[in-house]
Amino acid sequence: MRIWLRVKALFRRRRLKRELQEELAFHQAMMREKLMRSGAEPTEVQISVRRQFGNEDRWRERLSELWQFRWLENLMRDVNFGARQLRKSPGFTAVALLTLMLGIGANAAVFSLINGLMLRPLPVPHAEELAILRVKPGKYGYAFCTPLFRGLEKRTDIFRNVFAFNWHIFQVRNGSRNEAHGGELVSGQFFQALGVAPQLGRYLTPEDKPGRTDLAVVISDDFWKTWFNQAPDVIGRKLLMDNVWFTVVGVMPQSFIGVETTARPQMYVPLATEPLVDVPFNFLDSGYRNWWLRAGVRMQPGMSIEQANAALRSISSPIIKDAIPDPNRRFGDVTRDAMYIAAMTGTAGYSLLREQFRSPLVVVMVLCGTVLLLACLNLASLLMARAAAREREIATRLAIGATRRRVIQQLLVESMLLALLGTVAGFVAAPFVSHALAALMTNSQPQSAINTSMDIRILLFGAAVTFLCALIIGFVPAVQVSSGSLQEQMKQGSQSVRAGRRHRVLTHVLLASEVALALTLVVGAGLIGTSVLRVYQDGFGFDPHGVLIADLNMDKQPLKGEPLRLFYRDFAGELAHIRGVKSASYTGIIPLSGNSGWDDWNANGKKETLYESLIAPNYFETMRIPLFSGRDFAWTDTASTDPKAILNQAAAKFFFPNGNAVGQIIRDSDGKDAKSYEVIAVVGNTKYDGLRDAPPPMVYRAITQNRLDKPSYTAMLRVEGKPGPIVDAVRDLASRLAPDIPAPIMLTMDRQIDEAINSMRMMAMLSIFFAVCALLVTGIGLYGTLAYSTSRRTSEIGIRMALGAQRGQVAMLVFRENAVVALTGSVAGLVIALLASRALVALLYNTSTRDVPVLVVSALLLAVTASVASLLPALQAARVEPMTAIRHE
Amino acid sequence: MGDMEELSGDLIQGTLEILILKALVRDAMHGYGVAEWIHQTSQQVLRVEEGALYPALHRLELRGLLDSQWDTSENNRRAKYYQLTAEGKKRLAAESQRWARLSSALAFVMQMS
Repeated sequence: MRIWLRVKALFRRRRLKRELQEELAFHQAMMREKLMRSGAEPTEVQISVRRQFGNEDRWRERLSELWQFRWLENLMRDVNFGARQLRKSPGFTAVALLTLMLGIGANAAVFSLINGLMLRPLPVPHAEELAILRVKPGKYGYAFCTPLFRGLEKRTDIFRNVFAFNWHIFQVRNGSRNEAHGGELVSGQFFQALGVAPQLGRYLTPEDKPGRTDLAVVISDDFWKTWFNQAPDVIGRKLLMDNVWFTVVGVMPQSFIGVETTARPQMYVPLATEPLVDVPFNFLDSGYRNWWLRAGVRMQPGMSIEQANAALRSISSPIIKDAIPDPNRRFGDVTRDAMYIAAMTGTAGYSLLREQFRSPLVVVMVLCGTVLLLACLNLASLLMARAAAREREIATRLAIGATRRRVIQQLLVESMLLALLGTVAGFVAAPFVSHALAALMTNSQPQSAINTSMDIRILLFGAAVTFLCALIIGFVPAVQVSSGSLQEQMKQGSQSVRAGRRHRVLTHVLLASEVALALTLVVGAGLIGTSVLRVYQDGFGFDPHGVLIADLNMDKQPLKGEPLRLFYRDFAGELAHIRGVKSASYTGIIPLSGNSGWDDWNANGKKETLYESLIAPNYFETMRIPLFSGRDFAWTDTASTDPKAILNQAAAKFFFPNGNAVGQIIRDSDGKDAKSYEVIAVVGNTKYDGLRDAPPPMVYRAITQNRLDKPSYTAMLRVEGKPGPIVDAVRDLASRLAPDIPAPIMLTMDRQIDEAINSMRMMAMLSIFFAVCALLVTGIGLYGTLAYSTSRRTSEIGIRMALGAQRGQVAMLVFRENAVVALTGSVAGLVIALLASRALVALLYNTSTRDVPVLVVSALLLAVTASVASLLPALQAARVEPMTAIRHE
Repeated sequence: MGDMEELSGDLIQGTLEILILKALVRDAMHGYGVAEWIHQTSQQVLRVEEGALYPALHRLELRGLLDSQWDTSENNRRAKYYQLTAEGKKRLAAESQRWARLSSALAFVMQMS
């Protein structure tokens, strides 16, 4: 069947008609001519042709019917009719579209985040051949040390390419320009493995090694535009990064982002230059002490991840033994010989954010899905209520000969139209939401982004969502029409009390499930929200409010040793003099920043691995950590005096359970040069590594006694008033006293803590948002259906009142209808919530999934919402004037 | 759409369609020409009703067995000319074979009695 002929005909209706007419006219003319030739009279000819040919109109109709697209034309008629129906009740349409937009928009937004973070393949050819390597078991995870990676890199027989990379912040300078840019240190085969051609120049190869050629750097399209103004002669230009001169050899295309899903590196330099840019450190040649690399492979075409893993298992052991010669070496609680290397799919690239946000995003997706389900149920029940008013119309249509199928099709088209419009609206709104969420998720990482733009997966998701929505919404009319004796209802009249009892039951079931779902969401949001609140309520052991953090990077400036120590002392003195700064100190590790340091300590016959922190004098005052006994560090506690340490209460209690830790000796078990430290004070416990963990025992040492040559510390300032001017003053001071260091990155401690529970906070905000949506949607549903059903009972109410019912009783009668629904829904919801909230356990802090206050408050919230939604129609019913109501019939 | 069933099930209509295809095997023709050709070639035995001819022509066109285009007729009028498509030719060959088998079988059966 030539469908396109019919489609063409559909759009050229008039032309088709004209052509049919012309064709028939031609035929008649020919007949006429023939008759004339045979000598017939003109009048006779006319009659004879007419007789033979019959009714021309019927002809045309028969022919043009052939050309028709029956179902398509019916569909168009239905769409038209549906649109008219929707326009006729703008209030209903607005509510329907709004709820759908909310539901679909939120789903699309969250899905595009999940897509950007976990599903979207890297923009490189055959991304499915990429795999990311990890060390198992143990806490090193995705980290590799240099010898281990080099061992793997040498095995060219198994994978097409083996590569490694490490994120590095470069200090890029040019005259007065002094900026920090994130880039990657990449191994020789990195670019070969990714297989993306540069847009200018060449990419890095294994030949790029210091000494052999100029130090080469490949820059991103973005950096080319911002730093070099897109200069066409950029190849060969010099670039001063981390005090090392590099030569630009290539510019990558705009789509290229390396292998880190959420990172946007601005430049790529050979791994071998690490000792030059990392001065004073040298991870590259530090053997297995530093696990600083991420590694990946490009597998042979057609190789599966299972095959890759099998191959890795067989070669792991010799490579690991080669890289770590010491057989007794333990990493955490993993022995060297228990280690092996595994591969996992790298199609979507490597991402730390993915690990952090996987379960929160899945939870959020479920919440979102629930809201959408709610929105659909709500629409279904509203449609149901509205349908009651249309029973007559439908019955009439059936009575005058419409088939049931046609009627259902028409109603389905109407739901489909709603779903489609809602999807469009939702997808228009989604990018705003997903951008905001992506910004929330990546705010702690500079130069990172989640690509949430539209792609085929998002489109498919949208199509699936629309289809499901239309199915749920559309199931109502189907039930409605097939539910039998509509003619019966027509006979009884639209105001009949008995009309659609079955519909009422179904509506109640729908509404009750809405209430149940909403309550589940509210309970979930309550639990997550309470967790976040409790994190803040429980405190941290220090007072983060009013603390400013200034990150100082001393790596690339000339001072070291004693002069640097003096600089720190003077700088702290100057800082403390800035207006609004109450006190200033330093720390090596900002608490709750995700960084931590630890060492083995022993004293009093006990040995334990303890967290530790290097701090300067005044740290406890600045952080408002109580000093229980002893004295603070002083600037005079230098490397030439006896080593001193301060314990927190937990550590003091552990080593010296009888109290009186001050004056005791503790030793760090750092092999042969173990030192003894005198405990000079005991301070309060603070949270250190994780917000969810209890404050751990810890040891503080003084930066003044640190033997490192060129340490970088973070200044901590206790400030009063607005931080803005103080930030400027600190930057000023830094550029004056230490012109060689990059402008300090500054942050408030509050913000630092917000970021530490970023994923939890995001989830809390989203789940509360969804819970509010759920309450709103449920409220609208309860109100809408009750209002409809009450308006249909006007005459019944009128009669009741005429027979002496009080207004209060009438209001109660209406109110009760919803109260029963709300109550059953709530009970079901509580049961579902209790079961479902178990999935949240891992995400909660100090909150049981059966937290009674949360459950009670959630149920109350729902009760209030339901009451308000039901009270309005009830009051309306009570205002019915009996006479008008009865006359109405 | 069950066109095959129509063709094999309804002898009259099926026959008309073969006749139309056959008529157009040499040249493109307009509807009137097709009717005349069938009338002449069957020695005035078969007369095609206009009420059947045009729906059949249009159906064949919709099924892609015929192509059509507007052209000037022998008496200088605009007329719609039909011609066989490649698919139409294939169908005609298949149908002619079928028809030959069917008619010889019919003739055989009729002789038996």
